[in-house]
Amino acid sequence: MSSTDTGERRRSGEARPVITELIDEATVQSIADDAWTALVGEDEFLVPIAGEFPGDVLSSWVDVVGPWTGTVVLTTGRETAAGLTRALLGDHAPAELEDEDIADAFGEIANVVGGNVKAALPGPSALSLPDVGHAPAVRNPADVCRLEVLWRGEALSISVQGALPALPVPHQH
Amino acid sequence: MRALVIDDSRAMRRIVSGTLEDLGFEVNQAGDGQQGLEVLTGGWVPELVTVDWNMPVMDGLQFVAAVRANPAWRAMTIMMVTSESEHTQIVRALAAGAHEYVIKPFTADALRDKLALLGLLPQEVAL
Repeated sequence: MSSTDTGERRRSGEARPVITELIDEATVQSIADDAWTALVGEDEFLVPIAGEFPGDVLSSWVDVVGPWTGTVVLTTGRETAAGLTRALLGDHAPAELEDEDIADAFGEIANVVGGNVKAALPGPSALSLPDVGHAPAVRNPADVCRLEVLWRGEALSISVQGALPALPVPHQH
Repeated sequence: MRALVIDDSRAMRRIVSGTLEDLGFEVNQAGDGQQGLEVLTGGWVPELVTVDWNMPVMDGLQFVAAVRANPAWRAMTIMMVTSESEHTQIVRALAAGAHEYVIKPFTADALRDKLALLGLLPQEVAL
């Protein structure tokens, strides 16, 4: 009798779940809604409609490392990120925003959303400091919970994406 | 009353500082725990410290431990203001010596309520 190793046995033996087994879009939306109300403004809403992203986008993210390991990534147009920064800073916003201001504010929003996503996942987990730039690549499309919304009519996404399977180790030369 | 706001995010420092200033606090700021300790050792000792958890150089938990190791700062009230919202993290922070814990995101009213519980609202605001 012959058998074929499909990997099913190994996969079924792994304890690590994919994100869609742990959290759904509604939970991510609820977390983001709370963050927006508290940080961006009481009258600021995220409308659960997918929009079209401009060519120039910016992402901010934090890593979650624990029973589930991955990244919580916010992505929006650079101008929208600047608008978020102005809303967050309110009267304290400088007349001319610098890239550092936007990175700081957009990163802090990722930190708050990511921290609360982490709390909704099995723990204990560790949270990284926020980072801002080009979004980390999705490694496993099956391990992604992605929410697409509009803020003030502009597209914004929140992606909770797994970091496993690990990227291959580079060849040693 | 004086307050020291420690957070690596300038935006968050501005938000927390603005809320405290609206409540009548004189506010100083620091970008991480080490800078916060430098403010204290420099002689600017507040009644209240709000401190984030995840920061570079020295995190909030290390800061709390360092403050609690110095008897001269025993009277200082420490409030963690952080996105770390797991129960185990809250227990760790309180065990290390923090008095109160505020989870981001928070509203100005929530912060004010916590200060009232701690008896740290200036009298004219508390009335």
